[in-house]
Amino acid sequence: MEKKEYDAVILGGGLAGLMAANIVAAAGFSVAVVSKVFPTRSHSAAAEGGIAAYMMGNSDPNDDPDFMSYDEVKGGDYLVDQDAAELLSKKSGEIVSLLDAWGAPFNRQPDGRIALRYFGGQTYPRTRFIADKTGMALLHTLFEHSTGFKNIEYYNEYYVLDIVKEGNNVNGLVAMEMKTLNPIYLKSRALLIASGGIGMMYKHTTNSYINTGDGQGIALRSGVALKDPEFVQFHPTGLYPSDILISEAARAEGAILKNNKGERFMAKYAPHKFDLAPRDIVSRSMTIEIREGRGFEGGYLGLDLRHLGKKYIMERLALAYDAAKNFSGVDASEEMIPVRPAQHYFMGGIDVDTTGTNHDLNGIFSAGESACVSVHGANRLGSNSLLETVVYGRETGNTMVEFLKTHKNVETNSNVEPIIDAAYAYIKRETGEHFGVLTEELRDIMWDNVGIFRDNDKLAEAVSKIKDLRVRAKSMYVTDKTSNYNTELFNALETRNMLDVAYTMATAALNRKETRGAHFRDDFPERDDKNWMKHTITYLAGDEVKISYKPVTYTRWKPEVRVY
Amino acid sequence: MEEKEITVNIKKYNDKDGAFWKSYKLKADKYTQMTEVLRRIKSEQDPSLAYRASCHMAVCGSCSMKINGIPSLACRTIALQAVDEKNEINVESMDYYPGVRDLITDIDVFYDKMYKVMPRLIADESVLMGENEQRMTPENQTEVWKFQECIYCGLCVSACPSVKEDEQFLGPAAHAKGFRFVDDVRDTKRSERLDLLMDSAYRCTSCYMCYEVCPQDVQPVIAIKKTKNYLDQYKGNTPITIMARKHDDTVENLIETTGKIKESTLFLKTFGFGEAMRDAIDMLKSGKFKYAFEKDSNVKNMNEIKGMMGEKK
Ligand SMILES: Cc1cc2nc3c(=O)[nH]c(=O)nc-3n(C[C@H](O)[C@H](O)[C@H](O)COP(=O)(O)OP(=O)(O)OC[C@H]3O[C@@H](n4cnc5c(N)ncnc54)[C@H](O)[C@@H]3O)c2cc1C
Ligand code: SF4
Ligand code: SF4
Ligand code: FES
Repeated sequence: MEKKEYDAVILGGGLAGLMAANIVAAAGFSVAVVSKVFPTRSHSAAAEGGIAAYMMGNSDPNDDPDFMSYDEVKGGDYLVDQDAAELLSKKSGEIVSLLDAWGAPFNRQPDGRIALRYFGGQTYPRTRFIADKTGMALLHTLFEHSTGFKNIEYYNEYYVLDIVKEGNNVNGLVAMEMKTLNPIYLKSRALLIASGGIGMMYKHTTNSYINTGDGQGIALRSGVALKDPEFVQFHPTGLYPSDILISEAARAEGAILKNNKGERFMAKYAPHKFDLAPRDIVSRSMTIEIREGRGFEGGYLGLDLRHLGKKYIMERLALAYDAAKNFSGVDASEEMIPVRPAQHYFMGGIDVDTTGTNHDLNGIFSAGESACVSVHGANRLGSNSLLETVVYGRETGNTMVEFLKTHKNVETNSNVEPIIDAAYAYIKRETGEHFGVLTEELRDIMWDNVGIFRDNDKLAEAVSKIKDLRVRAKSMYVTDKTSNYNTELFNALETRNMLDVAYTMATAALNRKETRGAHFRDDFPERDDKNWMKHTITYLAGDEVKISYKPVTYTRWKPEVRVY
Repeated sequence: MEEKEITVNIKKYNDKDGAFWKSYKLKADKYTQMTEVLRRIKSEQDPSLAYRASCHMAVCGSCSMKINGIPSLACRTIALQAVDEKNEINVESMDYYPGVRDLITDIDVFYDKMYKVMPRLIADESVLMGENEQRMTPENQTEVWKFQECIYCGLCVSACPSVKEDEQFLGPAAHAKGFRFVDDVRDTKRSERLDLLMDSAYRCTSCYMCYEVCPQDVQPVIAIKKTKNYLDQYKGNTPITIMARKHDDTVENLIETTGKIKESTLFLKTFGFGEAMRDAIDMLKSGKFKYAFEKDSNVKNMNEIKGMMGEKK
């Protein structure tokens, strides 16, 4: 088997992974970036709306970083680690300037400075954007910047199977070249997991097909904890029926949600912020409207852009307009866009501190959506995820540089055969269950039972059904026996990861007996600060999820009621 | 919602069996994207079907293929809009790139060309040190963004005739990428960039295929034309650009003196007598030679034109 050695290996070629790669490479260390798709095809490309930043001299004169942190803390329903939020706000301006210096073509104001607009949950407008393809433009900028480094090597279309450990130290990872199914052992002392989200485990999701929670699954299997996995964001405006995202930018630019009576129903649920209340609140309100019969047939509501005028729509919301046109056949300047909530973001993730370090294993780091630093707490505000990928991608890159200076690669080569055998076993098996069946069942369970409205019965049922699926998955098999870009094998491996992660999510959600942010319990509809102002920590030990709790870090904001 | 049964014919390929067509039947409604069609075929009928797809919203460039012979993104194609009168759709992999498996091709040659144009902004040192803020007019941003919108899907290169003929041609996408930096006021390396791009720009035949197939409306051929506008600033010389300079000078000269472009003179002056004769023989063979002798007369309002030329200088 092929073996290569680097100082650092990075799992993931999205924004978080590439930012860290640029930083580590700039310090002179050798880096391997491993991605199951060509980097520019990572899910980050799909981000539309923008990136939040307080920029000195280029923000509302009344704004300052503390207001921004406060918005994050309140938006996250006080489950946010406040030191993490403060760092995010403090570094937001300089990171946008850095992206600008690396070539990101941000939209401009007439005087040539970077433009800004409002997004949900912001006291002052802070969102910086590149038309409505901000993620794509930033991803390309970071990827293109990285092509200037000779010491970054890309393993594109390599699927990472598992982390390699030697005692309590990281000793690299094992990946498979997708084209040939040849395994490769990439040895390193520092390993960053920046593998993105989990959307595909939900029946309705705005996420890319490739978001299957691989990094989180890999982490769990190596004894690394996931923090707050019960917190999943549902975006209010998934296009009906394809669930393609209609960006929050639409509402930021003045679009209004309406029910089948033509009422602006958000006035009832969020009398101050209306349609721009945080996502959890809007998604719940929409679900109530649909449930109570005020939706349109098929189960959706209307997003009204018509009053904005065609010219404005084409200038500022071209992607939303095109999406409605191409994927629902709706001309948004003449008709309302049909929308319904869909899974969108995973607030939980690999447990790391504000340096991006995980403390379960020596040498393991995580950043971006696969990590939980926790800047989003129980609910993420729009534009803050892109910000997190680059701010914490850089912080974590810097931490890795320090780590690399003081640590040496593990001398021994670990035995990685069991990892490879486990993957090949799916091909070798002649009968069993097929990945498609298991995935579809999982997607239904997660949507119905671990979705927008939860309660004890639904969650208990989810836990037991997923347990069952995990047993069945042990006899999962792959009909395609070739080693010639066998995508069926990778789908099976993704299913294994989704099941492991879903199991911890459902269990953690069952355990949290309160409502907070995106975690809404019909049977415990109030936030309970006395008992539940704490992070959930989950480990996977065989068939069991081990749960413990950990305090939230406070700096200056005391919990208050969250009204918008 | 109303559904229709459709037949999807897919050209499959693997190393062992080579290429063969396989048909699948399934139901689709008026919203069903081709990526969803493929996903359902894979998960319900043929798990071995191999294709690439990620964002399903036309921003990641994964799902390039030929649908009914047309280079397309599967996610941007609605099945019921693509079916023929028998409710059938034909799907196959992109041209030009080597096939790997079913709809998956190896597009390394595309990426290699992208890497060749120094695809990254090199800002002024003071900006990188954080000492200076970069400004950019909204107009410049719009121009740069147009060519930056390329999603690396590879469709234009698979459709471009020149790429296949001429190894030295960088191809449409790389030209769009390269020019995006030439045009960016924040960049400091314009002359190096022109060194990379200028010769190649003249290897494009202006057939507009890239313009036709690009799902992002990047218009690479326009980037190529705009690159040529920088010929004056280009310091180097290659056989092609020497010819291009002659061509430009002649055009200018012709317009100045006659008020129009006389094709025959232009040809002779640009390519020289020998080349012109060789071409003339080709034209003779194809029966087009008579056009070369069509008499060009001077235009009437020469003074106006001279004025305009003077203004330009
Ligand atoms: C439709 C949409 C719009 C959004 N808009 C916004 C917005 O406007 N503003 C905002 O702030 N946020 C937005 N978000 C959220 C944001 O886009 C993501 O959270 C963020 O891009 C995640 O980046 P990342 O670097 O963590 O991961 P990703 O970009 O998802 O990258 C993950 C990487 O890991 C690799 N990978 C995963 N598993 C494996 C494996 N097993 N082997 C090898 N490689 C693997 C992938 O190939 C990929 O390169 C949006 C999200 C969606 C769904
Ligand atoms: S116009 Fe030029 S670049 Fe575009 S397809 Fe034709 S030859 Fe290729
Ligand atoms: S220029 Fe257009 S067709 Fe060519 S690779 Fe880019 S997006 Fe695709
Ligand atoms: S799946 Fe991303 S462009 Fe089609």
